[in-house]
Amino acid sequence: MFFKNKPMWGKKTKLKSSYDVVIIGGGLHSLATAYYLSKEHGITDIAIIEKNYIGFGGAGRNTAIVRANQRTRYNVPLYKEALDLWPVLTKELDYNLMFNNCGNLNLMHSEAAMKAARMTIATAQFHGVESHLIDAKQAKELVPALNISEDITFPIHGAMFHPPGGVVRHDAVVWGLAKGCAKNGVQIHQQTEALDIGTRNGKVTSVTTSRGTINTKQVLISAGGYSAALIYDMLGIKLPISVLTIQAMVTQPLKPVLDHVVSSGAYHCYANQTLKGEIATGAHMDPWPNYTTLNTAHYIKHQAEALSEFLPCLRGVRFMRIWGGLADMTPDMAPIMDGNDQVEGFFMDCGWGYFGFKSCSAVGKYMAQFMAGNECPGMLKPFNLNRYQEHKLMGETAALVNYSPDN
Amino acid sequence: MALTITCPICGKRNGYEFRFGGEEKGPRPEEKDLTPQAWCDYVHMNKCVAGVQEEWWFHKDGCGSWFKILRDTTTNLEQAAGEAAK
Amino acid sequence: MNRLSQLPTLKIDTTQKLAFTYKEKTYFGAKGDTIASALFANGVRIFGRSLKYHRPRGLYSLDGECSNTCMEVDGVPNVRCENTSLEDGMIIKEQNVKGSAEYDMMGFLDKMDWAMPAGFYYNVMHKPAKIWPLAMKQIRKAAGLGKIAPDHEIPGKYDEIFLNTDVCVIGGGPAGMTAALAAAQKGLRVILMESRPWLGGCFEYRSREYQSRQTLHDRAVQLAKEVEKTENIRLFTHTSAVGTYNNNLVTGFQIGKKEDIFDQRYVEIRANSVISAAGAIERPLLFDNNERPGVMQAACALRLAKTYGQLPGKKAVFSVGHDFGLEAAIELHDLGLAIACVTDIREDGQNLELVKKIRNRKIPLLKGWVATKAHGMKTVKKISISTLDGQISKTFACDVIVASAGFTPVTGHITVNQGTLKYDSHTGAFLPDQMPEKMHAAGRVLGLEDPKSIEVSGKLAGLKAAFDCENCSIQELGDAKKELEALPGPARGSKLVTAPVKGRKTFICFDEDATIKNIKQAIEKGFDVPELIKRFTATGLGPGQGGIPGHNLPLFVAKYQALPDISIRPTNVRPPLVPTLIATYAGANHKMFKTTPMDEMQRKDGGIFRNIGVWQRARYFSNDFSSRKEIENVRNNVGMLDASTLGKFRIHGPDALKALQRVFVSDMSRVKQGRVKYSAMCNDDGCVIDDGVVIKQGENDYYFTTSTGRAGQTIEWIRYHTRYDGWDFALVNLTDSMGVINLSGPNARKVMEKVVDIDISNEGFGFAEYKTFNIADTIPVRAMRLGFVGELSYELHVPASYMKAVWIMLKDAGKEFNIRNFGVEAQNVLRMEKCHIILGQESEQRTNLLDVGLGFLWDRSKADAKTVGAVALRQAENDQTRFKLVGFKMENNGRAPRDGALVVDDKVRGYIATARDSFSLNEAVGMALVEAPLSKIGTRLEIFEDECGDDRIYGKVVAMPFYDPEGNRMKM
Repeated sequence: MFFKNKPMWGKKTKLKSSYDVVIIGGGLHSLATAYYLSKEHGITDIAIIEKNYIGFGGAGRNTAIVRANQRTRYNVPLYKEALDLWPVLTKELDYNLMFNNCGNLNLMHSEAAMKAARMTIATAQFHGVESHLIDAKQAKELVPALNISEDITFPIHGAMFHPPGGVVRHDAVVWGLAKGCAKNGVQIHQQTEALDIGTRNGKVTSVTTSRGTINTKQVLISAGGYSAALIYDMLGIKLPISVLTIQAMVTQPLKPVLDHVVSSGAYHCYANQTLKGEIATGAHMDPWPNYTTLNTAHYIKHQAEALSEFLPCLRGVRFMRIWGGLADMTPDMAPIMDGNDQVEGFFMDCGWGYFGFKSCSAVGKYMAQFMAGNECPGMLKPFNLNRYQEHKLMGETAALVNYSPDN
Repeated sequence: MALTITCPICGKRNGYEFRFGGEEKGPRPEEKDLTPQAWCDYVHMNKCVAGVQEEWWFHKDGCGSWFKILRDTTTNLEQAAGEAAK
Repeated sequence: MNRLSQLPTLKIDTTQKLAFTYKEKTYFGAKGDTIASALFANGVRIFGRSLKYHRPRGLYSLDGECSNTCMEVDGVPNVRCENTSLEDGMIIKEQNVKGSAEYDMMGFLDKMDWAMPAGFYYNVMHKPAKIWPLAMKQIRKAAGLGKIAPDHEIPGKYDEIFLNTDVCVIGGGPAGMTAALAAAQKGLRVILMESRPWLGGCFEYRSREYQSRQTLHDRAVQLAKEVEKTENIRLFTHTSAVGTYNNNLVTGFQIGKKEDIFDQRYVEIRANSVISAAGAIERPLLFDNNERPGVMQAACALRLAKTYGQLPGKKAVFSVGHDFGLEAAIELHDLGLAIACVTDIREDGQNLELVKKIRNRKIPLLKGWVATKAHGMKTVKKISISTLDGQISKTFACDVIVASAGFTPVTGHITVNQGTLKYDSHTGAFLPDQMPEKMHAAGRVLGLEDPKSIEVSGKLAGLKAAFDCENCSIQELGDAKKELEALPGPARGSKLVTAPVKGRKTFICFDEDATIKNIKQAIEKGFDVPELIKRFTATGLGPGQGGIPGHNLPLFVAKYQALPDISIRPTNVRPPLVPTLIATYAGANHKMFKTTPMDEMQRKDGGIFRNIGVWQRARYFSNDFSSRKEIENVRNNVGMLDASTLGKFRIHGPDALKALQRVFVSDMSRVKQGRVKYSAMCNDDGCVIDDGVVIKQGENDYYFTTSTGRAGQTIEWIRYHTRYDGWDFALVNLTDSMGVINLSGPNARKVMEKVVDIDISNEGFGFAEYKTFNIADTIPVRAMRLGFVGELSYELHVPASYMKAVWIMLKDAGKEFNIRNFGVEAQNVLRMEKCHIILGQESEQRTNLLDVGLGFLWDRSKADAKTVGAVALRQAENDQTRFKLVGFKMENNGRAPRDGALVVDDKVRGYIATARDSFSLNEAVGMALVEAPLSKIGTRLEIFEDECGDDRIYGKVVAMPFYDPEGNRMKM
C-alpha cells in the first residue's frame, strides 16, 4: 500500500493554558488564517477552537463555486487573488483541491441585466480578470442544454462568461488546509466550544472554552454564520448582520452533461455538475433570520421549476439530497473584516453571506498579515465595520437587498 | 422547515405570506444628542440572537399589518409570550 | 419463464402480456410487474455495473434501496426499476457499462481497488499540475451513473396538488391502516399515503397465521377493504412521502394510474397531526461479495415469489438474523425453492414454532453461523459460511444467498422533521427518541414485529393524532396504551455488525462502492465521526439515499473504535427521502406576470414585450431597438405610452399627512390643491428608494404614485415607518385598479382637445397641475401635466376597466396627427435627454438623494430623526468620497459609450448609467455616476468599455439637462 493512513491533522492533543493566537471556528477562513500565520509570519502557537468538527458549517455545505467577477473595485482584486491561489495551494498543501476551472456562465434575462453585466465585466477586465458578455446563441454553444427560446418565464438575453472561474472540492480545502496547519504546528481542537472572551482594560486576555480557559492576547472570530451571535454574546458588539438559511441540493449522478457553472439571478438558481456527476444547484434564501439550517418544501419545488425552464433536460433527472447552511448577510453583501478596533487583540472576519468559500484563501492570507502586523492591510480596509456608520455601503449589489427592513 | 406565523388579525398562516421586519429595537431615536454611532446602531445593528427574540413581521399577502412575535431562531417556532418570559 | 400461479398474494396478471425492449430485443412481462421483476422473469440477473469498480449488480431489496437496479427507461436515467411499474413499449437500457452489464470492459477495475483507497483522489493526480486537467476529464467520464441528452424532453404530464387535512398517515401497512381507521372513526379527515400501488405493507405478501384461519395476507386485505370504504380517509397509493417539515407539512409524489390525467403529481399536505408508519427495511449483512447478483434480502426473495410469482433461483442458502428470515425460508421452501442450509446469526432466541417447521422440512439450521463469502465471478455459485468467530467454516453450492442481518426502522420522516433517534441495544436499531410536535410513530418504525402489536401501535398513534385534534380523551389514550403494553414488545435484534472477514470486498455502501476497508482507512486518517466518514468516503451519498449503509455505518464506526453504545449516532438523512424527478417537483410550473389593461392592444400594435419586475411591458414597437421613430414622433408630434405599471396609492384619514411627512423627504404640508408635487423617499441610509408625485384630492386625502418596481412594498414601507405611532390613516393600493396613459408631444393638446370637454389651454390647465373630470360624461379621469419625457405631456389616470375605451378615443383622435405608441425604451431615451432619473438606473443601493442631485427635494426644516433618511443625509452631505450623478457629452462627436462602461483613471472611478446617441440633439450624451472630484463641469472622463483593450474613449462633464434646459417645451 503506498498511502499511509495517519491522522491528517495530527493526533488529538491537550488544550494548553495559553496560546499566542486563538481562532474561534474551524471553518475555511479560520484554517486559512492559521495556515498563513504559521507559514508566512512564523506564528505557530495557535489554537483553532471548533465546537463540532472542522468543516461542519458553511465550509462543508456550500456548493463550491469559485469566481472573481465581483462588482466593485474593492472586491475584484481580493477574489482574483483567491482564485489564483487554488493551484498554488494544491501544490503547497500537496493535497488535490480538485480545482475545475470550467468557467462560470451567469445568465442575463433583460436589457437592464445586460447593462449591469457589462459594468461587472468591464470592472473585471479593468482588473485583469477574464470575463465576457456573450449573447444567448453563444451561451447555448457553451451549454447545449440551455433553453434559449422566448417561451420561458425569463427568456435568456445573454450571459456573463467568466472562463477562469469554476468549482473547487470544498471538503478537500478544509482537509488540505487542516493538514497544512497541523504540519506547521497549529493545534486544531474539535468538539471544543468557545464560551467567552476575557478582556481587561479594553484588551483581550483570554478565551474560555468547554475544555478550560486559555490565556491569549489575540483572538479571531471567524465562525461563519455563528460569528455575529458569538461576537455580541462575548463582547457586546452588535453587527449589521442577518443570519439566514441558504439551501442547496444535488441530483443523482450523471455522465457529463453540464460543462460550466450556470447561474441566473432572475431564476434564483445556479447549477453545475460535480466531478462525481451530480448536478449541484441552489441559491435561494428564506428571508428571515434563523440558525436552523433547515431546508424547505417551498424551495426544492422552486428550484425544480427554475431548472425545468432554463435547463429543461434536467426534468428527467431526480433530486437526491437537499441541505441547508447559514449565510450571515450584510446590507451591502460585502463582508466585515476588522480588528483592534473595539477591543485590542480582537479580530473579526464575518458577514460573508454566501461568498465565504470563494474568498477564503486570499482572506486567510490578509487576515494573517493583519493579525501578525497589527495593521489593517490596504486590501481589507474597505471592509471595515465603520463604513456603515459613514453610510458608505459597498455597492457589491446594485439592486436593493431585500431581506431586511432597511430597504 | 415549514414556517408558520400567527397574525393577530388573520391567525396562523403559512410563513411565506409574511415578510420579516427586523429585531425589535424600539421607536425611532429622539433628535437630541443623536450620534452617528447611535443612529447606525438603530438602523443597521442586530443582536442576532440564537434563541428567542422579539421581532416584527408584516402580513404582506394578508391584512397588511405589522406586528411583533416571539420566535426561537434555533427552531423557527413561535413562542407564546408567557413561555418566553420563563 | 413459468410464474407461480394460484397464490392469493400475486399482483401480476400473466394473461395480460406487456412488451418491452431491452438491449434492442423485445421481451414480455406481465401486467403488474415492475421493470425489475419483468427483467428477472426473462432471465436477467445482472442489471448494471457499480460506480467505481464496475462490479456486477442485481436484485437486492426489491424496494429501490440502492442503485443496483437503476436503469435508463425511455431516455430517463437512474429509474429505480424495482419500484417502477412495467408499461407496454418501454425501452430499457443498462447503465454505467462499457459493452454490456454481462460483459463489461471496465470490469477489470474491480481488481484495482488497492489503488483506490478511501479518498485516494485527494492524494493523486495533482503532481505535476499539468496532469490534473487530463485526469479530471477521465474522472468525469468515469463518474456518474445514468446519461441524459442535453436536448432530452421527458414525456408525460406533471401536476401538483395542495391539501389540508386533520391527520396525515405515512405508510399503508397494518400500522398505518389501523392508525388511519382509528383517527377516521373519531370523525377526522385523514390522508393515507402508501408508496406501493397497494395497501398492506409487510402483511401483504406473508402467509403466516395472523389468527386462527386468517393469514397476514388475509388480514391485510380485510384492513384495506375497511380503509377503502371509510369515507373520511382519502387514499393516495403509489405515493411516496419524500419530505416532512415542522408545523406538519408533508410532501410526496404520486404515480398516476392509467385513468389519471397526470403521470406524476407533486403532493403537498398541511396536516394537524402526522403519523409515521413507514415500516422497516432490512439491515444488510456484511460479508465478502455481499452484493454479488444472487445475494438478496429476505423480503426481496419472498416478495419476488409471493407478489411476482418467481422463485429467486434454484438453490438457496439463508444467512439471517431474525425470525422473519426463518419464516421466508419456510415459505420459499414450500413454494419449491431448494434450500441447502439456513444459518442464523443468533445462537438462541428463535421462535420455536418456526424452528420446528424448518426441522420438519429437513432444512439444516445452523445457529451462530453466518455467511462469510459469496463465490462466483458474475453471479453467485457458492457460499462460504462460518461460525461467528470464524473458527469453523463450510461451503455450499447455491445460486441464491438470502442475507439479512436485522431490521432498520424507516425513520427518515421523523428525523428530517427534527425528531431524534436513539440507539436501542435490545433491537440493535435506531428507534425514535424525541418525536416532532404532533407527530407519532407506529408499527415497525418502533421496532415492533409482532402483528398484533403492530396494529395496536397503529391504533394508539391514530388516537394520539385525534388527541392533537382535540377529538380524543385521555382515558381512551390510556386504554390503548395499556392494550399495547400487554402485547409483545420489539424483538431482540442480532448484534453482529460484520461477518468475520477482512473487508476488502465487503461492501457497506453499494452505490459508492465503499467497503469496510475504506471505512477503516478513513478512521485512521482522522475522520472519526460517521458524518465525516460519510463525506470522505461518500458512503450513503448515492441514489439509494443511504438505505443500505445508513444503519451499518454508525454501528461499524462505533465497533471499530470500541465506542460505548450510548455514543452510537446515526448519520443525517435528507429529503427527498425517495429520489424525485425534477419534472414532478416542478408540477404545473405556472408562469405569473401581471399584464396591464392595454396588453392585448399593444401586442396587436406590434409591441415587443419584456418582463419588467412583476409586469410585462411593451419595450419597443419595432425591431429597431434604438426606437428612433418612436422617439422622434414624441419630440415632433405626439405619442402615447401605457404607464399603467406605475404604483398608485390613496392615503387618507386624520393622520395621513403625518405619515407622508415621515416617509417623503419634502414638506408634504405644502402640497397645494390642484397642483402636483414631485418628491422622493429615502431609506435610513439616505439612499433614495422611490420617487413619484403626490396630489391632495381632499382634506386629509392624498393620491400618490410610486415607481413600478417599488409599488409592491409601498404600503409595507409606510406602515413600517409609522408602526410605533398609532396614527390613524388608511392606505389603498390602486396600482391594479387604475391604468395610466401618458400622452406626450407638441401635438398632445390637440389630441386631448378632441376627447375632453374641459379647458385645457396652458392657462386653464398649466404645467404641474392636475384636473379631475369625466370623459363623455361617464369615464372618470384624473389628468396631470408632467414632463418626464420633456414635452407637453398629459398623464391620464383612468379606472382599469375604462382604459381601453380612453386609449381608443385618444388613438382615434390622434390619427390625423399620426399618433403612435412609444415603448419603455423610447421613454428611457427621452427622459435621459432631460436628465430625469430612473431609480435603479441612475442610482444603486448606495446612492443617496444628494448624490443624484435631488437634494432640492429635501426640506431641511423637518425634524431629521422623524423623517426617514434625513439623519443620514445630514451626516453624509459633505462627504467628498461619494459618487455623484453627472451629465456628459462625448468628445469629438464620438459615439455614446455602452451602458455600464467604466469611468477610470488608474482606478475605477465610476460608471456610465445611461448613454445614447441622441437623435434629438445629434450628439452622444449620457449620465454617469462618478466619484465627487470628477463631477465638476468640464472634467474629462476617461471611459473604459468592456473588450476595449488599451483603447479609451473620452467624454466631458456638462450641465444637465441636455435637451431643452429651460423646460419650455413641457410647459408650453
